[in-house]
Amino acid sequence: MEAEKNLRKEISEKLKDETLRDALGRFSEAYPIARAKAYENAGDIEALRDALRQMKIDTVARIEEVADRFEAEATKRGAKVFRAKNGDDLKEYLVDLCRKNGVKKIVKSKSMAAEEIDLNPYLEAAGITATETDLGEWIVALAGQRPSHMVMPAIHLSRFQVAEYFSKELKEEIPPDIAFMVQAARKELREKVLQADMGISGANFGIAENGAIGLVTNEGNARMVTTLPRIHVVIIGYEKLIPTIKDAATILKVLPRSATAQLMTSYLTMIAGPTPAMVKRDGKWVEEKKELHIILLDNGRLRAAHDDKFKEIFQCVRCASCLNVCPVYTLIGGHVYGHIYAGGIGAILTAFFHGMKEFEKFQELCIGCRRCMTVCPGKIDIPGLIEELRIRNVKEKGLPFLLRQTFENIVSNRKLFHSLLRLASVGQKPFQSGKLIRHLPLFLAGLAKDRSLPAIAAEPLRDRIGKITKKIDKPDMRVAFFGGCTIDFVFPETGESVFKVLQDMNMEVLFPAGQSCCGKPVIAMGDVETTKKIARENIKALEEMNPDVIIAACPTCTESLRHYAELLKEDPEWGPKAETTANKIREFCSFVAEEYAKRGRLTKTAGGPKVTYHDSCHLKRVLGIDKEPRQLLEAAGCELVEMKDADKCCGMSGIFGVKYAELSMPILEQKINNIRDTGAEIAVCACSGCMVQLQGGLDKQLPGVRMKHVADILAERIEEK
Amino acid sequence: MNTIGEPWQRHFPTATSGAHLFPEFEMRAKAVSGEVFRVPDATAARETLIRLVDDVGAKKAVVVESPLQEAAGITEALRSRGVTVYTEPTDIAAHAETSDIGISGVEFGIAETGSVFQDGGAIATRLVTILPPLHVVFLPSANIVPGITEAFDIISQSFDRGYVGFITGPSRTADIERVLTIGVHGPSRFAIIAVDETPKGGEA
Repeated sequence: MEAEKNLRKEISEKLKDETLRDALGRFSEAYPIARAKAYENAGDIEALRDALRQMKIDTVARIEEVADRFEAEATKRGAKVFRAKNGDDLKEYLVDLCRKNGVKKIVKSKSMAAEEIDLNPYLEAAGITATETDLGEWIVALAGQRPSHMVMPAIHLSRFQVAEYFSKELKEEIPPDIAFMVQAARKELREKVLQADMGISGANFGIAENGAIGLVTNEGNARMVTTLPRIHVVIIGYEKLIPTIKDAATILKVLPRSATAQLMTSYLTMIAGPTPAMVKRDGKWVEEKKELHIILLDNGRLRAAHDDKFKEIFQCVRCASCLNVCPVYTLIGGHVYGHIYAGGIGAILTAFFHGMKEFEKFQELCIGCRRCMTVCPGKIDIPGLIEELRIRNVKEKGLPFLLRQTFENIVSNRKLFHSLLRLASVGQKPFQSGKLIRHLPLFLAGLAKDRSLPAIAAEPLRDRIGKITKKIDKPDMRVAFFGGCTIDFVFPETGESVFKVLQDMNMEVLFPAGQSCCGKPVIAMGDVETTKKIARENIKALEEMNPDVIIAACPTCTESLRHYAELLKEDPEWGPKAETTANKIREFCSFVAEEYAKRGRLTKTAGGPKVTYHDSCHLKRVLGIDKEPRQLLEAAGCELVEMKDADKCCGMSGIFGVKYAELSMPILEQKINNIRDTGAEIAVCACSGCMVQLQGGLDKQLPGVRMKHVADILAERIEEK
Repeated sequence: MNTIGEPWQRHFPTATSGAHLFPEFEMRAKAVSGEVFRVPDATAARETLIRLVDDVGAKKAVVVESPLQEAAGITEALRSRGVTVYTEPTDIAAHAETSDIGISGVEFGIAETGSVFQDGGAIATRLVTILPPLHVVFLPSANIVPGITEAFDIISQSFDRGYVGFITGPSRTADIERVLTIGVHGPSRFAIIAVDETPKGGEA
């Protein structure tokens, strides 16, 4: 609870930090364009990402062998390799090394691993001065802060703030002029490098074939830090190891492009074994062989390497592109994530490097929109891994009492759940303003508080089935409609539209009354057992009707039902049934587009309203459906105007949108602004979760524009005919 | 070749590489604030260098020799211009920090990125490339490979130990407000003099 309070306090501070908001806002606008441009001459991006992913998968599968080879080759060339189990191990080794060699002054070029284990304060306590030479790292160190971004550590600070820190450190008035400040830093830091006894660097990769380490930098500080002092210490995590020299090319094709939208950084440096250094002895320069120490850091990495799911984090090359597109990170920056690794990937790395307790605090900040997966060069399923961590956390510790009670006793008991929803539709009346009140089943979890969301309908879809079902004598197909809570109880009219569209194609539409929540809110919180219970009930209800196809008009429900096969695969009785259900489930838009095409109806027509389409995160990035809804809209005669960032999250994301309303609202506001700019009369989407959020936003901020599901538009077109 | 195990030239992919890639290389190098001067021969190379020296008013230079520089008589030309030149490693160590210009040779260029590959195994090479504010490199203009992948085909067959790398334009940062600023720790100017003519009696 205490941790949650601190996190909320920090979030609210960051939301008020205009420098940060402004910098991140501008950056998130510029990044996707710059990245795309950087990849223009790189060939097939997908092939490059696949190559990186595969190379890393092959490496982690034999990580010990690769590490042994790396150590042997580096040792053969004269480096000393030390394997550190954790931060303490590393620090002791390093301080001992400093003592033996009379090292008092250290210069560092960027090492996230050193930050991870809080190296600097430890060195300081041992009487050793360590100076960061990367400009951003130095600024952050002077400010007494941590980096807020893996690649741009000081992105949260303005030139005025930097000038203040510089003036204080250099004891002279430094004007807030960027070029001047950079020169001042150059002068000050060069002096430090020239006087240092030891240079510490990180590494972007370590090559087993010849024991080389690689550094990808822009400022040139890494070249100085690894060249000038007589001792060079490399701190490298196991995940940075790669088998061959050629594998470095696989990383270099994507790392600079993804990290900073550069084709290549100013300097790529590879060092294999100690190289000569110039040392002043009795006032004379003499050439001596350097001492090269390589510290291979574990600190939770090997545990991840041997974990069937989490070995995936070895595919991370620390480009931070996942942060650059994250709707939450780009609002509040990296500091709220507590440790140095920010964003979704940061929450996962933190879980392994700092423990589950740390993960728990920040995991909710991942809204599962999967935008990161579209850019990650290693194609890491970041949201999937976070969900897996939640599941493990729940297995180990259980859910908070209230949530557990809600899931185990209410959501998984359809009759009780639905009667409560009906009660809610009555109970909400005194508080209802217009059509807006609260979302479900979140409201049952007692989590809705900060705003109004759509009302629970007076008559749910399940009570309207008799009225809307058309008798069809020789149906082309028997379709079971899985409504999901939101369509059933909040948007029953959309459910009616689905019936209309399908019946119009001579399909018999069935509504299995025994269906309940798809289970997504439950599994999202990590409660696997309750989800299984819910899945079994839904499968039973659906299969009793023996349909040809099962249709859901919500991507999350579609995904959940498809996931039943995996969820129940070890259950001998339910496994095969789940498989059948999973094979029958189809998402509404893609199914209808296919059927319309068969009937020659998927052609563009005119005369409809001007609309804009919002891509639901899960519809586009999990199910891969983005063309079909657009084709359907145009087939229905709509004039489709694309909005900016159509596929950027609306900020709902289930529980997140309610619990972190303060974060959800600015994300929604951007979306509403983009809708406004199109001049469309109707905002359309094909996800009931997004509809909840967008309707709430439009109602307050853009009342002239209506929110509709693709099914609604299609149904209206049928009525017109 | 100080650190690379065997001559990298043996692995240079002549079929896919060469001067025809130079325009792309030049465009990419210039896009990252590199200065590129393509010249036909040693004489023109020397004249170009002298213009750069005059431009910055260089008084002091640190130089690591390469065949192209020797063919163009760079060191002598600098001295006759009144520039103090240091070529011995111990002298370079003493003077690189206060020199106006550092001069060295590079192995090959990469068209995809506008980078040059340099073997920096010798400490003197690294000092001249990183400490003075202007770094000038000599490159045979036929030594251009198409991309990073081809560069690593060469490197993987010849890099056994030592210190090698790509240099792509001058030193840069965007760490304050993401404003691109040229010249942080390394040189603020990076010039490539690419020579078409192969020096007599040796490989570039």
